[in-house]
Amino acid sequence: MSTVQVEVQGLSKNFFDQSRGEVHAVQQVDFECRRGEILGLLGANGAGKTTTLRMISTVLQPTSGTARVLGHDVASEPVEVRRNLGFYSASTALYPRLTARETLTLFARVNKYPAERTKSRVEEMIERFGLSEYAGVRIEKLSSGMKQKVSIARTVVHDPPVLIFDEPTVGLDVLNALDLQQAIQELREDGKAILFSTHIMSEAERLCDRIAIIDKGRIRACDDLEGLRAATSQHYLEDIFVHYVTANADS
Amino acid sequence: MNHRTVSALVGNDLRQLARNPRVLVFAVALPLVIWPLMWFLTSLTTERRQERLESRTYMYAVAEDPRDAEHAADTRAWLERALAVVGEEAQADDADTTDAPAVRFERIELPDDFEAALDEEQLHVHVAWEAGADDGADENVDVDSETLGNAGDAAQRIVLSYRADLDASDAAEGYLRRALERTRVEVREGRLAAAGFEVPPEDLLPVERIETASEEQTSGLLLGRILTAIIVMMMLTGGSIVATDALAGEKERGTLETLLTTAASRIEIVTAKNLSILTVAFATSVLNIANIVLWMQLDVIPAPAGLKLVIPVGAALLLLFLYAPAAVLLSSSLLLVSGRSKTYKEAQLLFAPVMLVSLAVAAIPVLPGIALRSAIVVVPIANLGVAAREILTGQYDWPLIAAAWAVTAAAAAVLARASVRALSAEKLITASDIDAADLAGGPALFPRRVGRWFAVLWALLLVWQLNVGGGIDSRLLIVINMAIFGAAAWLMIARYRLPIRETLSLRAPPPAAWLGVLIGVPAGLLLADGVVRLASLAMPIPEEWIEAMAEAFGADIPVWQMLFFFAILPGIFEEIAFRGVLLHGLKSRFRPVQLVLVAGIAFGFFHVDLFRIPGTSFLGVLLVIAVLRSGSIYPAMAWHALHNALALGSARVEQIRLPDQPTWWHYVLATLAILVAFRLMDSSKRSYQPPAS
Repeated sequence: MSTVQVEVQGLSKNFFDQSRGEVHAVQQVDFECRRGEILGLLGANGAGKTTTLRMISTVLQPTSGTARVLGHDVASEPVEVRRNLGFYSASTALYPRLTARETLTLFARVNKYPAERTKSRVEEMIERFGLSEYAGVRIEKLSSGMKQKVSIARTVVHDPPVLIFDEPTVGLDVLNALDLQQAIQELREDGKAILFSTHIMSEAERLCDRIAIIDKGRIRACDDLEGLRAATSQHYLEDIFVHYVTANADS
Repeated sequence: MNHRTVSALVGNDLRQLARNPRVLVFAVALPLVIWPLMWFLTSLTTERRQERLESRTYMYAVAEDPRDAEHAADTRAWLERALAVVGEEAQADDADTTDAPAVRFERIELPDDFEAALDEEQLHVHVAWEAGADDGADENVDVDSETLGNAGDAAQRIVLSYRADLDASDAAEGYLRRALERTRVEVREGRLAAAGFEVPPEDLLPVERIETASEEQTSGLLLGRILTAIIVMMMLTGGSIVATDALAGEKERGTLETLLTTAASRIEIVTAKNLSILTVAFATSVLNIANIVLWMQLDVIPAPAGLKLVIPVGAALLLLFLYAPAAVLLSSSLLLVSGRSKTYKEAQLLFAPVMLVSLAVAAIPVLPGIALRSAIVVVPIANLGVAAREILTGQYDWPLIAAAWAVTAAAAAVLARASVRALSAEKLITASDIDAADLAGGPALFPRRVGRWFAVLWALLLVWQLNVGGGIDSRLLIVINMAIFGAAAWLMIARYRLPIRETLSLRAPPPAAWLGVLIGVPAGLLLADGVVRLASLAMPIPEEWIEAMAEAFGADIPVWQMLFFFAILPGIFEEIAFRGVLLHGLKSRFRPVQLVLVAGIAFGFFHVDLFRIPGTSFLGVLLVIAVLRSGSIYPAMAWHALHNALALGSARVEQIRLPDQPTWWHYVLATLAILVAFRLMDSSKRSYQPPAS
């Protein structure tokens, strides 16, 4: 059985905006993400990271190209794709009037997790993310760090093989960001295929097994850190990123 | 659809609502108090006002006409007689109370300026009498006046001047006028008797009214008129609580994207949202109705006169079933508005027009003279309201009730589908507020605009035909109608830069298609006639229409003109509009069977009269299939023209008349002939490719 969990080929997305006209947000993007791997999408704001990940999560429809999650096509089998996916971003909020336990139960059920195992799975998540003390407290009363933990637990409660983290540390303080990174690393160790988008170099360097540098909607390079260093003769990821982005600007 | 997912989402919505104290207080608890309180205060205020008016003393002043002293004494006597009985009817109304208030009138000195006195309420009514021969009563008086003529030898008139905008003055005038009218009747009858009229005047031509409607029917009519409006108002009030939050609130909170990235399908989400809206709307409606009924039972608020809140169980169940699609229609409308709104506030703003339109439609049963067996049957919600009114008065027009239910259910299905589409729209998530077709315009936008164009065209034709069309020569009417179709088609082609050849399917059909037309036309006419016969069971063809048609197609129009105006012109222009432009616009939006039905039935609806819609829809369906099978509009044009020509011919020429009593084998043969005709039209050049699923 192939370990490729996410397969993206020639994915493109055009938007239309009244002020800017036609915008080619993503152009001919190709990459794969394997089991137990964190693939980083590294790019500046507006580079096309979120649009790419939203197409993979079926929220947006590709203008052209395909994306498959565990062999399920995002265009023709969106529900199957989402069943195998956990999506976390700064814009995916939680219901403020639910408790942490109710939130996890809701998302397990909505994601069609087997009914007979839902309760034990929810308790397992509460235990794993250290939510026991606050499991009965409404989300609106939790601190931002606790909310973030509930959010991650919500993302993985149905045990999806593929996880998408879209700029997850935006707006978090250093300690919460480190906690989140720790949680993501643990999920990789569980064998999840993880797509992780960020514009923070240190985060990508620390977490990602491979890094795809995305600029103006195109993937400029995709390799592990050593490969990128060898290809650019640069040591620091920041320099490598600048190398590809300026090379593109020059061309 | 996964019921576990749906129930989880419904549970979530209801839990969110139940944990929002502000919503519970303002949207659920307060209406429970405010509704009966308003009702109570209204009735209390009315009662108090009545008591006040009946127990006060009204000031009047009298101005006699000095030129007619001869009759003044009589008139003065009548006025005094009237003043003696004034307010008796109010006392009679309060006969059950021992201390009924008394209306009193007190005469005051005639003021110099009685209008100023009326303004300042020193005077409530000014009484004057003047010579009856003078028809020109003081026209300069700019207050309302009531004239009581007392023709005869005492030809004087009494003029009452008062202020209708001042409560006391208005009431004084009312009491005094009624008393004077009663006095006039008594005086007249006394004079008749004195003059030797043998029959007592009150016995002359007595009229007796006998009400044959049962109490249930009378009460049912009253309830039926207002029931739909009340239910719609309560459902909208309750439903909007959840609907606002359902999509607009989720968008604003940021939970919508969380929800859309789960394994719940869009249909499951929309179903859950609709169920949440319906649950809350139903619960709040039941609560409010139960609340009002309770207060009525406790006699705190009075029930409207003649209203009996007892509905037979059978009728109640039927009404519940009847209102089900209306409830779905309303909840889908609210959900659609919520989905289209960017924020909670915008959703609340947009609910206002939805409420106004819904209430306007729901209030139609209040209007007198509207029966279910009319065009109202195609107006969603209004048709159910009229059906409910008829059911409550014991009239069960089953075919029409079924038709009304089906129409509203279809509208509900369309709106529910639109809600699903709204939930799939990328603008829910992205910053871009328009999509490709909007920006690109032209042919890409046309499929999304074609419905609006034809809706406007339909409305125009309806207004034109109902207001002007009937009064002009039938040939001119056809020419104008065809010009409207032609102009509309041209406008759409020009506006959206549609490729003419492809839009109108201007291609040569396979040669066998012409044979198909020749076989299909008589068979199609026979089947269409069968459809009309079937439909006439529910919607009989009015005699006036048959007479009008006989006149329009009378023998005084030459045959060539008949063929030109009623066969060739529609064959060209209606085909360009319906099987050309409309069909082109709808092709990318519907699967084959849906496309044939939608495009065919749309054609039928353009024939305005309800009883014509089934037959013409059937013809529309055949013509759509002809175009799709042959890939060309020409066979449909020929079919349409020949169909009309044959229909006209069968009305005028004995030899080609349709069988008066067709049997089942006529229809079997005709169906087989139609199938052969379509088989012959099959073309590899067929332009239509079903849209991808």
